[in-house]
Amino acid sequence: MASEVTAARLPLTGADGFLRAFDADTRRRNGASHLAQVVLRVGPGFDAEAFRTVLAEVTRANPILRAPIRRTLGMGTPSYRLDAARNPDWPAFVVHPPGPAAPGAAPDALPPVPALFHERLNEVRRARRGELLRVDAVPRGGERPGTDLAFTWLHMLLDGSGSERFLRFLEERRAGRAPPVPPADRPGAPPEHALPPSARERGAMATSWRRHMEELGALSVRSLAGPVRGVRQALVYDLLSFSVEESARIKARAAARAGFLTPTPFYIAVAVRAHDAVLRTRGTVPESYVVPLPVDLRPKGGEGAVFRTRVSMIWLQVPAARTGDLAALLADLKEKRRQAIRAHQVENGVAAMGYALLAPAHLYAFLTRRALHGELCSFLFAWTGAFCQGLESFFGAPVLDGFHAPAVPASPGSGVFFSERGGRLHMTHVRQQGVLSEAERRLFRGSLMKDLTGAG
Amino acid sequence: MGEWTRERLVELIHRVLRDDLLSVGQDFTPASNLIEAGLDSLAVTQLMLSIEETTGVWVDESLLTPENLESSETLAACVHEHVHDL
Repeated sequence: MASEVTAARLPLTGADGFLRAFDADTRRRNGASHLAQVVLRVGPGFDAEAFRTVLAEVTRANPILRAPIRRTLGMGTPSYRLDAARNPDWPAFVVHPPGPAAPGAAPDALPPVPALFHERLNEVRRARRGELLRVDAVPRGGERPGTDLAFTWLHMLLDGSGSERFLRFLEERRAGRAPPVPPADRPGAPPEHALPPSARERGAMATSWRRHMEELGALSVRSLAGPVRGVRQALVYDLLSFSVEESARIKARAAARAGFLTPTPFYIAVAVRAHDAVLRTRGTVPESYVVPLPVDLRPKGGEGAVFRTRVSMIWLQVPAARTGDLAALLADLKEKRRQAIRAHQVENGVAAMGYALLAPAHLYAFLTRRALHGELCSFLFAWTGAFCQGLESFFGAPVLDGFHAPAVPASPGSGVFFSERGGRLHMTHVRQQGVLSEAERRLFRGSLMKDLTGAG
Repeated sequence: MGEWTRERLVELIHRVLRDDLLSVGQDFTPASNLIEAGLDSLAVTQLMLSIEETTGVWVDESLLTPENLESSETLAACVHEHVHDL
C-alpha cells in the first residue's frame, strides 16, 4: 500500500485520501471543493510585500504548496507531484481594496469578516493543477484598523494543527528564525504513526474499524441537512465570541465536568443539544447522534509536521434519549470516547483510511455514507484549543484574533468548531445556507448559550 | 492495591509517558512539566487507561487539574490518593 517517497512524488497520507474522497464527492454532487479556512485578524502594519516575498520563497522550498495531486497513469495511490509544481499563479495572494465599514459594530469589537471569506469556502479548486492554497488580505478601517487575512486551502494540504503551524512557520521564516523547509516535513522524516508492517495486521485493524462504523448504523442518524443530495454548496459561518470573563467561566465549567485537558466531550454535548433542539421542533429527532472527533497524530512534545493531514477520527454515538440531561449526555460521551481509545479506534482508523488511497474516491465516499443511509454524521466538530499560541505578530502587525472555519459537506450541512484566542472562547458555526431558518438559528444559538454558561 | 506505593506509581507514569506517549528526550524526568512536554487530551486518556489496566484503578479526567498534571510526581500523588480510597 505504501507508495515510494521520492524527490518527485510525495504520497498522500491515509487521512489525505479520506479528504480527497470527500473532495471528489463534494465536487460531483455540490459543485465545490472540500476546503478549509483560517482567518487571522491583525492590527496596523501588515507588510503585504514582505508576505508575498516570503510566500514565494517558502513555495519554492516546499513545492507541495502548489503540487498537482495525481495518480501515475491513473493507477496506484495518488501523490503530490512535486516535480510538476510549476503553476505560477498559485499559491494565490491577493490584497483587496478596503471593504465598507460594517454598520453597528461595537467600538471595541472587530467587525464581521468580509463576505469574500465565506465565498472562498465554496470555490472549486483543480487539484490536478496544484490550485491548493489561496490567501486573501482585506484592509480594515473603522475603530480597529488593520488587515483581515483568510487562508483557504484544499483541506488535504493542511489539517487544523498544520494550518496554525504554517502561520507560525511563515512568521518565523520572515524573522529569519526558521529553515526554509520545516524539519518534520523534510524527505525521510519518520511518519507520525507507524502501522504494523504486516498487511494482515493492517487488514485486521481496518476490518475492526469498518465493523465499528457499521454498528453506528444500527440507530438512525439525522443531520440538519438530511442525507446527501445534489445541491449547490453555499456555506456561510457565524462566529460566536465570548468575553474574557465569560470565557473563563465557560472553561471552568467545562474543566469541572470533563477535565482540564479533556473539555471536548463537554463542548460536543453542548453542540448535540443545540442540534437536537432544532430537530425536535421539526419533529425529525433521530435515534442517535453521531459525531466524528478529530485526533492529531503528531508526536506529543516533538516537532510536528506542517503539511498533509495527520489526523485520525474517533466516531462517537449517543442515543437521542440522553439529550434531555446535559450531565447524562456528557457522561455518555466521556465513556464512549474512553471506550474508543481503549479499543484502539484511533489506530484502526489510520489503517482504514489507508485503504481510501486505493479505492476510487467517489466509491470510498459512497461506502462511508452507506452505513448511515446517506448521512455522514450528525454534524462535524472540533475543539482546537488555543489558536496559534505564541503568534503575537504577523509580518509587522499585531495579531488581534483568529479562528478556524473549515468547510462542511452540504450534508450534514453543519459544523461546530471551538477555539480560543487571547483568553476569549470562539465558536464558529459553519453551515449550508438554508439549513436553518432564522427562528431555528436563534433556537440553536440559545441552546448553546444556555448550556455553555449554565444560565437559565 | 496497597502494593502501589507512590514511588511505584511515579515510575509507572514516567515510563508510560516517556516510552509510549510522548516524544521526549533524556531531559524528561519525573519532575518535568507534563503540559510543556506535550501531554494533550488523547495522551492523558491513554495514560489513565494504562494506569487503570495496570492498577485496576480509574481516575476520571475531570479530577485532573493543572496542579496535579504538573509532573509525573504530582500525578502519581493524585492517583495514589484514589488507589488508597478503595
